[in-house]
Amino acid sequence: MREVSTVSYMSAVDIKARKKALKKIERAFSKLVKDILSGKTPTLVIRKRTLANTVFDAERGLLRIGNATLKRSFLNAGEAKKFMQTVLIASIIHEALKNDEYPTIRDLYYRGKHTIRFRDLATGRVREENTWDEQKESDSVIRDLEVLIDMLREEMLILSKEKGKVVGDMRIKSGDDIIDLSKMGHGAYSIEPTPDFIEFKDVNAEFVLVIEKDAVFQQLHRAGFWKKYKALLITSAGQPDRATRRFVRRLSDELGLPIYILTDADPYGWYIYSVFKVGSITLSYESERLATPSARFLGVSMIDIFGSDKLKKKPYLTEAERKNYIIKATDTDIKRAKELKSYEWFRTKRWLEEINIFLKKKAKLEIEALTSKGLRFLMDTYIPEKIETGDWIA
Amino acid sequence: MASEATAEKFRALTPSEFFYRNRELAGFSNPARALYQAVRELVENALDATDPHGIHPTIKVILQKVSAERDNIFSISVEDNGIGIPSAQVPRAFGQLLYSSKYVLRQTRGMFGLGAKMAVLYGQMTTGRSVEVLTSTITAKNIYYFNIAIDVKTNTPIIHEKGVYRKNNGWHGTVVKLYLEGDWTRSKSKIYEYLKRTAIIAPYAEIVFEDPEGTITYFERSTRKMPPPPREVKPHPKGVDIEMMRMMLKATKTKTLLEFLIKEFQSVGEVTARRLIENAGLLPDMKPHELSTEDVERLVRVIKSDTKIKPPSANHLSYVGEEIIKVGLKAILKPEFVTAVTRKPSVYEGHAFIVEAGLAYGGEIQPEDRPVLYRYANKIPLLYDEGADVARKVVDRIDWSHYGVTFPAPLVILVHICSTKVPYKGVGKESVADVPEVEHEIELAIREVARRLKRYLSKKKREREEAERAVAIAKYIPDVARGLAKIVNNVREEMIEKELLKMLNMKLRSFKINSVSDVVVGIE
Ligand SMILES: Nc1ncnc2c1ncn2[C@@H]1O[C@H](COP(=O)(O)OP(=O)(O)O)[C@@H](O)[C@H]1O
Ligand SMILES: [Mg+2]
Repeated sequence: MREVSTVSYMSAVDIKARKKALKKIERAFSKLVKDILSGKTPTLVIRKRTLANTVFDAERGLLRIGNATLKRSFLNAGEAKKFMQTVLIASIIHEALKNDEYPTIRDLYYRGKHTIRFRDLATGRVREENTWDEQKESDSVIRDLEVLIDMLREEMLILSKEKGKVVGDMRIKSGDDIIDLSKMGHGAYSIEPTPDFIEFKDVNAEFVLVIEKDAVFQQLHRAGFWKKYKALLITSAGQPDRATRRFVRRLSDELGLPIYILTDADPYGWYIYSVFKVGSITLSYESERLATPSARFLGVSMIDIFGSDKLKKKPYLTEAERKNYIIKATDTDIKRAKELKSYEWFRTKRWLEEINIFLKKKAKLEIEALTSKGLRFLMDTYIPEKIETGDWIA
Repeated sequence: MASEATAEKFRALTPSEFFYRNRELAGFSNPARALYQAVRELVENALDATDPHGIHPTIKVILQKVSAERDNIFSISVEDNGIGIPSAQVPRAFGQLLYSSKYVLRQTRGMFGLGAKMAVLYGQMTTGRSVEVLTSTITAKNIYYFNIAIDVKTNTPIIHEKGVYRKNNGWHGTVVKLYLEGDWTRSKSKIYEYLKRTAIIAPYAEIVFEDPEGTITYFERSTRKMPPPPREVKPHPKGVDIEMMRMMLKATKTKTLLEFLIKEFQSVGEVTARRLIENAGLLPDMKPHELSTEDVERLVRVIKSDTKIKPPSANHLSYVGEEIIKVGLKAILKPEFVTAVTRKPSVYEGHAFIVEAGLAYGGEIQPEDRPVLYRYANKIPLLYDEGADVARKVVDRIDWSHYGVTFPAPLVILVHICSTKVPYKGVGKESVADVPEVEHEIELAIREVARRLKRYLSKKKREREEAERAVAIAKYIPDVARGLAKIVNNVREEMIEKELLKMLNMKLRSFKINSVSDVVVGIE
């Protein structure tokens, strides 16, 4: 019989991460227990994750969580449930860390979900209540816990679905394996949920191109874009998850590569860019680690579509193409654009110009429009020309 | 011939003839109403023979169908443990209309000398049978039996049979049994309602009722406390009209007008008497029977407009009292909340009166679209003509939402008026008239009990809200305790649970949670 030892199969980085996470959780909750045993009302003090408590750090060019806190007291009927949920999620994560597990946020939701049968003292009736009903609720307290102990869930070895992909002439070490990102065939490397544990080995690239649309990513990959232009090609497949953002940030920080972002020409595309660059509002506490302030918005810009007399720029699309490709903006698009206009980090001359053209023309455009005009056009004209001439928004 | 045919014949009617023709005036209008009225008259006589004399009433009422063939002939028997009737009085008490021991100024249920005789008369008319009475006073050595009919023409008793039995136990009281035509189906609910309401206002009585279907209902005695006995009083000058004044002047044994006013009336002393005499232009030493019609008129007018006479005293009134009303409402209605108030005595037209109000809420009371009203006058339940009663008017005009009640709601209001002269509306003695003073007192009494209900309801609401808040926290204690004990080394779950519960209990004002398991019954 063979000796089975779990430890020997696990990577060293994981073991270290576990120890650190366990210690942080224990420290936060020991204090709570001490309060309880000395008759002090147990209260969780957590920084607020709201727009009002989101600060744009102009100097560093990223969003940060402010200092406003919310107090969650267990002895307050309106806060007791959230308090219980926070303790519950912490104890489940703690247990998973101790047992060398890698739960997903969905796993945590299921592990914590149970039914409390209680007697309503006013009526004497027995009623039932779940610790939580939807994953939304457990996800929310996971975020609270991240803020409370100042740790990202990935650092607590909680996994989520992989969404981001990367290809390019680069070698990395993930776990105990070396992976060559240039040998992925027609596929690509899925960026793992814990990108901090990735080790960059060597790289042969001059810039990073991040594309919102997976389909466009695949087209450029197969057409050999990254080989021809010495690029690392990444897609976030829509809203970027945290792993993709962290990965991009590390490429910028550690390898000093310029980051270009290509999205649809509409408020959603702009917000995707802004999440990469400054961070997101609901997760502003993570921006310190996830935002890439140096990221550049390559396109598609309103001026690419309509041109600009003032900037003496010709549009990339002809009148006829515009007619075919432009989509009319919806009311929610307009509303969203106005919201963006109020965010401090969008209040630059160039961005206000973009948004104002959009509001005037009430027109949006998908990146796919450019491949429809011709994949060659996108690959060999549009992208290289814009990069070469510095035609981006910083 | 024509002149002979149209000539009017004059003759006097005896009271028995009058009521024989106008029995509906006394409530005997049809077989259903008559059955109800007969039960009521006999029960009220039984109560009058007990509680004013300090005896805890024990009353047995038996209603039976006399023969299987005839569906509408009943016998009523009512037995009490009261003071009994002196044997010499029995024939007239049951065989002569307008004969009574209650023609004095004293608050009793009966007062016209009519009730028992109307039942006897009605029975006699519809079945031809006479009344049987078995009675013995407290001091009597014998028990007396009478079988009596009324000679309607002459309004005199006819004694069919009389018996005397030696008493060898201490029994005292009266059993009255008579036969009459009735309609049980149509009077059943009223009779039950009457007995129920009687039991509410007299919870110190014990009442057994056997109905014609053989169903026996027992209203238990739920308190030994009894209302203060009513006492006889002299009339108050303001409650006396010209006719009564003339009768009193004629009957008095006093020698002078001054002495007459002082001795025959309450609230009149020498100063007051002299002032009244002077203002009426009379002389203190006039002989009472020498006053002329004009003198009497002037005297009464002066009395009516005098503002300085002391109001009538209410010492003689027998109110039920807050305690007994509460006991009665609680015992019969089994409510969740009960309260009662006895107002201070007040006066209308020279008559003292006291209003009492009771309120019962929730529990076994069925919700209704408006407050259920139980009306009483001198401890008699009033069941008919509710719509015309001043108390109904007051109850309906109150905005109950102001007192935290939204209908349908389980709310019963009891209103009791006691007075030597209850201002009944009409001769039916079923509803009380809108006398402003009485109406005002009723309103104050009802609003008082309503305010107490409001306080109770809002306290209950506060307590319910506190309980809800407490549960909203307590139900999570086990999960919090277990979670913390798992994360933190060396603390026991039970320890944290205990401390959390202690802290929670410290915050609670209206109750405490003994154990978390009182709230959390399971975690699955
Ligand atoms: N059960 C009884 N016990 C004692 N006395 C009674 C009883 N029933 C009737 N009486 C006497 O008979 C009288 C006449 O009764 P009733 O005709 O009902 O007139 P009222 O009750 O108005 O006086 C009463 O005043 C009372 O003295
Ligand atoms: Mg009577």
